[in-house]
Amino acid sequence: MSNETPKLSPVEKIKTSSDGLRGSIKESLTDSITGKIRDDDTQVIKFHGMYQQDDRDIREERAQKKLETLYSFMIRLRLPGGFLKSEEWIALHHIAGEYSTGVIKITTRQTVQLHGILKSEIKPTIQAFNLAKLDSIATCGDINRNVTCNALPSQSPLHREVHAYAEKISKMLMPKTQSYYEIWLDGEEFHNRESEKDPLYQDRYLPRKFKIGIAIPPQNDVDVFTNDIGLTAIIENEKLLGFNIAIGGGLSFTHGNEATYPRLATNICYTDSEEKTLKAIYEIITIQRDYGNRSDRKQARLKYTVDRLGLDFYKEELSKRAGFPLDPPKTVEFTQRKDDFGWSKSTDGLWHFTAFVECGRITDENGINTKSALLETAKLGIANFRFTCNQNLVIADLQEKDKEKIESILKNHNVIDITFNSSAIRLSSLACVAFNTCPLALAEAQRYIPSLITKMEPILQKHNMIKDDIVLRMTGCPNGCGRSTASEIGLIGTAYGLYNLHIGGDRNGLRLNRKYKENLDEENILLTLDSLFLQYSKEKEESETFGDFCIRVGWV
Amino acid sequence: MNRTTREDLIIAFLSALSSEELKFCDNWIVKNSKNEVKLSSIPKKITILYGTETGNAKKIANDFALLSKKKGILAKVVGTDTYKLTDLSKEEYLFVIISTQGEGEPPISAKKFYEYLGTTTDQFPKIKYAVLGLGDTSYPLYCQTGIDIDTYFEKTGAQRILPLSKADVDYKSVSLEWMESVFQKLSTEKLSETLVIKKEESEKEKITTYSGKVKTSVNLNDNRSEKKTFHIELESQIPIQYKSGDIAVILPHNDHQVVQELISLTNSNAEKTLLLSKKSGTLRELLTSYLSITYLSENTLKKIADTISIPIKEKRLDLLDLVEKYEVRSSEKLEAILKILNPISPRQYSIASSSMVNEEELHLTVALDTFKVEGKQKFGLCSRYLCEVREGEELSFTIKKNPHFYLPDSAKDIIMIGPGTGIAPFRAFVAERSVTQAEGKNWLFFGDRKFTENFLYQTEWQEHFAMGTLNKINLAWSRDGKEKYYVQDEIRKEGKEFLQWLENGAYLYVCGAKDPMSIDVEKAILEVISTHKKVSLKKAKVYLEKLEEEHRYLKDVY
Repeated sequence: MSNETPKLSPVEKIKTSSDGLRGSIKESLTDSITGKIRDDDTQVIKFHGMYQQDDRDIREERAQKKLETLYSFMIRLRLPGGFLKSEEWIALHHIAGEYSTGVIKITTRQTVQLHGILKSEIKPTIQAFNLAKLDSIATCGDINRNVTCNALPSQSPLHREVHAYAEKISKMLMPKTQSYYEIWLDGEEFHNRESEKDPLYQDRYLPRKFKIGIAIPPQNDVDVFTNDIGLTAIIENEKLLGFNIAIGGGLSFTHGNEATYPRLATNICYTDSEEKTLKAIYEIITIQRDYGNRSDRKQARLKYTVDRLGLDFYKEELSKRAGFPLDPPKTVEFTQRKDDFGWSKSTDGLWHFTAFVECGRITDENGINTKSALLETAKLGIANFRFTCNQNLVIADLQEKDKEKIESILKNHNVIDITFNSSAIRLSSLACVAFNTCPLALAEAQRYIPSLITKMEPILQKHNMIKDDIVLRMTGCPNGCGRSTASEIGLIGTAYGLYNLHIGGDRNGLRLNRKYKENLDEENILLTLDSLFLQYSKEKEESETFGDFCIRVGWV
Repeated sequence: MNRTTREDLIIAFLSALSSEELKFCDNWIVKNSKNEVKLSSIPKKITILYGTETGNAKKIANDFALLSKKKGILAKVVGTDTYKLTDLSKEEYLFVIISTQGEGEPPISAKKFYEYLGTTTDQFPKIKYAVLGLGDTSYPLYCQTGIDIDTYFEKTGAQRILPLSKADVDYKSVSLEWMESVFQKLSTEKLSETLVIKKEESEKEKITTYSGKVKTSVNLNDNRSEKKTFHIELESQIPIQYKSGDIAVILPHNDHQVVQELISLTNSNAEKTLLLSKKSGTLRELLTSYLSITYLSENTLKKIADTISIPIKEKRLDLLDLVEKYEVRSSEKLEAILKILNPISPRQYSIASSSMVNEEELHLTVALDTFKVEGKQKFGLCSRYLCEVREGEELSFTIKKNPHFYLPDSAKDIIMIGPGTGIAPFRAFVAERSVTQAEGKNWLFFGDRKFTENFLYQTEWQEHFAMGTLNKINLAWSRDGKEKYYVQDEIRKEGKEFLQWLENGAYLYVCGAKDPMSIDVEKAILEVISTHKKVSLKKAKVYLEKLEEEHRYLKDVY
């Protein structure tokens, strides 16, 4: 390591001087002249599960009107393993209608977020969530975020056991500050900062965001290797033995910055007890806390720390801190990443329906009234709700006798229709939010991908590929919320209407794709794919996926 | 016995005396004291005659009477509608306060009096009189009724003791000055020449008509809002003479499309030149820019009904609707109607810019006035005209002085309460105080429907706030919460500091809707004074009245 101490990034200063993530949020909320919060607070508020955004569609229009840009906030819930009970769903439904755009967005990290909440309505929103025992603590910011976990119900009852880990990990990694309650719930002011002392995060939190996911093989619906820490359940004879622990996943990069790159996590060890697993996770994080780059936020994720220090160093340090030697990881196989749509029965005899939710947007739109269907379902109080990392939804834990009721609700609201009559590529696609609210977006994503797929479908039809589960993912920038670099076809926005085309990722999330063409507009995306599909359909080997084919023929 | 009661008694005693008896008293006083006041020079009684339409003349008359009483003069206040014309021969001191309506006409309540005086051959040489005319400089025949009454009295041989005084819509200062002159005249019988000359000069001030090119016209509300409030920037080739607080007077034009439809429906020749009593022009010109063709009054409709023999049932009607509904299909009939129509009245808008910032520009904040007549969507004539005007088009305007609503000394603090388009003059105020680096603090209260949609000039206020040229801002949004919330609620909330500012000498400005805004705001201010000064509401009222007297509580409400 260099002797010179590089200058800390401005965000570091904001964190350490935030007085337990309080910042000047309270003051910001009373600035009635503006819909935004103070600049430093935009960093602090992330730790409370919110982003300040603005409606980018009408920025210029409003500037002409001498109105500031329309600021609003996105609030993301903390739902380890992506699970809601019926009554929680009902609360969420109404809160969304009352304070946000009304659309409940399932994220790629198995939780939900609401958009368009005005500054003056953050507190009422959080308070309403609190009444439903829901919170948004630490769902954004330089901290461990929502812990994801396999959502496929066929794995039950093992699923329940693994899901409990998500809860435990989430709890272990919660920040100790009580500022969330103080600011948003008008809780009493905690003057005794000693009680908030945080041995894990200290006063500086992590150098960058931190993501943890748990997979149950052979399913990789959580895209386990895209996480900073990826846990793979090791199962033998229907028994959970322990976990493979992989570190250093992360997909974000920056256009034109060669020092940034997407990376899949590397398995470093196997832990065979809950105590060891939790301890290992904890210490992986303390190492990142202490060694992570705090001067350049584009080099701050764990993946860069791992590559800079070397896997051997990291393992050695981990073993030292954890106090036990690291066992080598077990061999596992992943054979599926997509969701199992429709009905499935778990070993405990309960039924589950996995519904397709295009781009994770739960709303009533174009005759597909998913939101109404789910409210109706929730009101019956007979189901639980699970979100998948593919932005779909599972109506879970139904008794056999209730199956028909739910089936008819879903049918009436055309949820059945969209789930069973969408093309394979549509069902396997993923898109981030991008315009109009994401400040990072360079190009459209969730607002655009449905129509692009509609234009791709005849091409797929032509090449006899309409039933292929090709994984298509689109992001409006290279930050990777839609995990576009971990797909067979990745479209990554570079400017409005233009995308880099990445190909060659594998179907199950074990190999990243690579850039094939730059700055394609829609016409060229379709033309390029048409020619690629033509060759693939002619030359592919038996059961060879499109992603694998791209590598074999050397396109990338 | 306190002082006032003693004075009252003396006045009562003196009032009962005859002229002879008064002269005796006078002589006695002159002999027995060094005081030069002659009691007999104080008239025993005066008559204050008012002719009013809106109540302003009456209010002045009552104030005048009250002041007279304080000075020991018995004053009889009477309205022109109830005044017995036969009493004129008995009058000694007669003061007339009278307003002018529309096209130089007297108020309805003064019509009889006016017509009598204009036609009578009676002579009243004993009457000593003075006239205060009320009017509106934006109309061509400013204070015409006052001018007429003043000359009519002269013709009857009455003695004018003060030249005619004219007061504009902001009549307060002029009327007070006038009263002072009357009292001086009455007590010393010496006229303050300087005062009169000064006033005559100011009356002669020429009104310039400016031509402004529309530089910008933008609806300040978010597109999701139903409201339309336009910010219009006019650019003039020559410097525009105005002060922050002044008013722009605009003569609106009628909708070209409506005019065209009228011409087509009645098969009229648009280019035919017509001669009306006060104006000539082509049919199109007259219909477009001279005659009022919207929302015709019951009176006008009745005249039309009589003239062209149609049974009009409506109380209010646009000419186009009338033509369509009653099938007026001939140019003769249209021309007959034109002779009945009144001219378009000019409209007034508080200027939203400061000439200190750019003397060749004038900005307006115009809310599109929308309403329904028999289910049909209608727009206010002038607001529609202004809101539809395109960038690059020219429109003409004059400036009306509004001196009672000017900024105080730069060191003084100001509190500005201006919800809705009431914000306009305050945009000028803060801009001016910003460029002149006035030391006084500025506090703004603004309100409208929704924070995200109707925050007029939001980014400008933010800049001023950041620069420190706006020290405090309080906002009230009526449709953001479950409960309606208005500026007066914010005033109550800020009561303590509000009073503090007033106690420190702040000037208080209110601009916007008279009813209910200015009334509710005043109520809140009184409550604030009462609560935080810990005095009764009555005392709070006295406090506020004192502010008003000191010209520290200023209203521009409409």
